[in-house]
Amino acid sequence: MEQKSAEQKKSVKQSLFEIYDRKYKLLLVIPFLMLFLGLAQIGYQVHKTGELIKKDVSLKGGVVVTVPYGKDASVSLIESQISSRFPDNDIAVRVLRSAGAVVGILVEADIDGNDNLQVRNLLSAIESSLNTDLSKADYGIEIIGSSLGESFFRESLIALAIAFLFMGLVVFIYFRTLVPSAAVILAAFSDMVVALAVINLLGIKIGTAGIAAFLMLIGYSVDTDILLTVRVLKRKEGTVMDRIISSIKTGMTMTIIAIISTIVALAVTQSEVIRQIMLILLIGLIADIFNTWIQNVGLLRLYVESKAKKGIQI
Amino acid sequence: MNHKIRKLITNWRVVLLVIFIITSIVAIHPVLSEGVAIRSVLTNSSASLAGIPQPKPNVQSVARERILSINNKPVKDVEDYYTQLSGIGPNRTITIKTTKGAYKILTTESDIGLRVFEAPATNIRKGLDLQGGTRVLLQPEAKLAPSDVSVLIDNMKERLNVYGLSDLAIREANDLPPPLGTGSQYIVVEIAGATEEEVKELLAKQGKFEAKVGNKTIFRGGQDIVYVARSANEAGIDPSGGCGKEGSQWFCRFRFSITLSQEAAQSQADATRDLNVFYDPVSGRSDYLSEKLELYLDDKKVDELNIGADLKGQAVTQIAISGSGAGQNQQEAIFNSLQNMKRLQTILITGSLPVKLSIVKTDAISPVLGEGFVKNAILMSLLAILAVAVVISIRYRKLLIAIPILITMFSELIILLGIAAIIRQNIDMAAIAGILVAIGTGVDDQIVITDETLKGETANVYNWKEKVKRAFLIIMLAYLTVVVAMIPLIFAGAGLLKGFAITTIIGVTIGVFITRPAYSAFVEIILK
Repeated sequence: MEQKSAEQKKSVKQSLFEIYDRKYKLLLVIPFLMLFLGLAQIGYQVHKTGELIKKDVSLKGGVVVTVPYGKDASVSLIESQISSRFPDNDIAVRVLRSAGAVVGILVEADIDGNDNLQVRNLLSAIESSLNTDLSKADYGIEIIGSSLGESFFRESLIALAIAFLFMGLVVFIYFRTLVPSAAVILAAFSDMVVALAVINLLGIKIGTAGIAAFLMLIGYSVDTDILLTVRVLKRKEGTVMDRIISSIKTGMTMTIIAIISTIVALAVTQSEVIRQIMLILLIGLIADIFNTWIQNVGLLRLYVESKAKKGIQI
Repeated sequence: MNHKIRKLITNWRVVLLVIFIITSIVAIHPVLSEGVAIRSVLTNSSASLAGIPQPKPNVQSVARERILSINNKPVKDVEDYYTQLSGIGPNRTITIKTTKGAYKILTTESDIGLRVFEAPATNIRKGLDLQGGTRVLLQPEAKLAPSDVSVLIDNMKERLNVYGLSDLAIREANDLPPPLGTGSQYIVVEIAGATEEEVKELLAKQGKFEAKVGNKTIFRGGQDIVYVARSANEAGIDPSGGCGKEGSQWFCRFRFSITLSQEAAQSQADATRDLNVFYDPVSGRSDYLSEKLELYLDDKKVDELNIGADLKGQAVTQIAISGSGAGQNQQEAIFNSLQNMKRLQTILITGSLPVKLSIVKTDAISPVLGEGFVKNAILMSLLAILAVAVVISIRYRKLLIAIPILITMFSELIILLGIAAIIRQNIDMAAIAGILVAIGTGVDDQIVITDETLKGETANVYNWKEKVKRAFLIIMLAYLTVVVAMIPLIFAGAGLLKGFAITTIIGVTIGVFITRPAYSAFVEIILK
């Protein structure tokens, strides 16, 4: 009986492998569908709001107040209490936790930070809502002018584009072949698109830290793609499929370690900067599993086959 | 095995790693520090009158002067410091013992004028978001030439120092240059341990400069001083006076000229007309007038100058300003006197800030929150490293692989922090994110090395050198892509993510050139 289930298990594994091995062209539908849906979401977002992402106050200007606070608090209650004093503004409240325990309250408001009266009003609204005396608490405040937020966003988009271009150049110079290089670059691009779309769908606002996360994603994403492409194109031992399987063993270890580390960081951190970065990385890394091991593998195999038809053995 | 270990510890790649780790630990300089560190000394306060020097702005953290005891009662922490002081009434003489000496301080109604903070245990510079303080991003309302920017920054430093704020950093930040960006300029002011209100109030002040003789204002900064000579041939060590030795000390004189407006020259003539010429009994000469020209910055006296006897009652627009500096040797005296000259020039220009600045961003982080962030970041990093260790142990089922990977991760962390301490790069939240990326890619690379050399069918096909070389081809390419992706961030977006980009680049560079070769040496010698 036990032997049978082991056999069954093996045959499931084997048949999955067969699908992966033989139907790779069909499997390509998955990552390209993800990419298409991602682009559609971003397109819809831009059409509806005129913005690529939901910006938090660090990108659109406003005030962030962080108050150390040890008690559990109702976010929606605090939010509605503060919002009632600022009917025209966007108020967001978050509870900062460290390993489950509440350590502070963070309030974001897109009010004009240069207007001292408004800032004072916000502080007093927080005071009355949390029932604390802020003059005695060691609170932190961040004020971002709206023009700075906008120019920072524009700048970081340019930086991101240049970073992507440089990365593509390095990859292209190294491999010197169009299709494999393009496949690596496309995989990185797909990771970013999917991560962005999922973040948008979750309704998460992105700030300066999020921009950094997308840059980090470029690095983590191309790691596995480079590993795969080098092993398939520059190695001679075994069949192409053998090389792909060996890449998966190494590459998946890398990705799983990265995913687990981001989950740990997400669970423990109380910093908004780290939280944003880790969340975007986590989503990007999960997307990367599909984009490397289905999309990039599929494109690479198509390339190898077209070469084989021309009589070039890889 | 013994033979292998000897071979390992004499391998140059391992030796290089050990040298880097030791250097880094020395640079980080972990100490068990007692007492509280002095952040700044308020001008004209009891503490400054008692001779406690203002800390130099770029002093390494653990080298800061620390208060060890008050009246022989040890000071435990910042809270203890304030409790002890508040227990002592005004008009009493107390003895404060510090790491550099003992001072007798007379207490007054107000506090004694020391700003203190928990004594740092390492040279790692915590960024503002981790230690508490205020950062202000200012934007000039008109485009400034590079030389004007440095004048502006010197100016602001001088003014903030007048208020006893010495633990500060002022630097320029930029947007991408055209055509990529607008090329906007920014000035970043970071002041540790200051609240947002204090900083805003200071920056809002006009920077009033006045020169007085007796109680009479002769000229003000800005409109009255038309020109301050700063070029090499108009300002510097006085060619006629030069340097000389007096006892064991060297003294050098500097001179430069300033041009006053006609009105200012006239009021100077009026103020000096009735003054006497001062006879110096020591030198037997009568070079100067009996009153001095006193320089005030925001109503605080910052310097005084002798007025040449020949200027008495004269409406001269071109005035030569001179002073001196001392040192143990001629070189030091020259350096110090040029330093004094620069400071004086800065003060004279002050009040005429080249352009109006507007505040575009303010961050104020409370020290309490900052402290929590540090503890949290350490906890997070340790747990993440632990998680990595668990996954690696499961994957390879060999402690001989998992432990070296862990050691490599920790050495990377130590070297990265050591280099940050040496180049005085602040470690803030974004930099911690950068450290995490660097160590994360490091783990990736070690997995590549391990798999390329120890696993799979390739094991017997290539010789060892070839296998290591193949692993490094993948690693180098991955490394280059990360570095080129980070470079644009150094120059873009008002430098807000510069710390992140720089730590990431330093981290991955250490990884590729120092820790990874050592790891591959380990794999080669022990596991082959």
